[in-house]
Amino acid sequence: MGASRAQKLSGIQKQVLSLYRRFLRTAHSKTPENRAHIESLVSAEFRKNSQLIDRKNFLHVEYLLRRGKKQLDQLKTVDSVRLSSSNVELPDTERQ
Amino acid sequence: MASALRAAILGHVRVPVVSSGSKLLTPLWIRSMSSHDDHLEKSQVIDRVLDIVKSFPKVDPSKVTSEVHFQKDLGLDSLDNVEIIMAIEEEFKLEIPDKEADKIDSCALAIEYVYNHPMAS
Repeated sequence: MGASRAQKLSGIQKQVLSLYRRFLRTAHSKTPENRAHIESLVSAEFRKNSQLIDRKNFLHVEYLLRRGKKQLDQLKTVDSVRLSSSNVELPDTERQ
Repeated sequence: MASALRAAILGHVRVPVVSSGSKLLTPLWIRSMSSHDDHLEKSQVIDRVLDIVKSFPKVDPSKVTSEVHFQKDLGLDSLDNVEIIMAIEEEFKLEIPDKEADKIDSCALAIEYVYNHPMAS
């Protein structure tokens, strides 16, 4: 995503951006310090994957979308500090 | 036996739902959300949108005008785009739906959107 400029977004890219937006919205509902923490973690994760994964690798992107949605649901309910720190330790073995 | 009777009676009892509280609150709430009487001036919208874009960490503030395209002119990516739109939402107390947000890719479109939004404040 980073390399392509101002192109029309594909459906799956829109889904990724929508997920990113929902993460940031959820972060807004947390306390200021948690919010900043969550935002930096979420942003780092999305950016890393946007560099790492080819945007046509739909299988992998869809997998990450599903995982992200689950994490978002957790973030909405669970104590955010604990969850956000578990976000960092995404096991690399899970990557394809 | 007693429980059957109880159920039969309860089945016929109707308690009218009167919540005087909500009757009082609703008009006040609607009024407080209406911004038609003090709608934003266009120049105000432009200034505030440009300030948000200029304060975005990756942006060179000297490049920002009301015409710039976020990705073509400022070198931002689509994730930055999402962050800028979120900052605009926060500043103007709006929630921009995904469909609209994906289309806003320049200062001009952002200004237009906010200016035409009845709830912007």
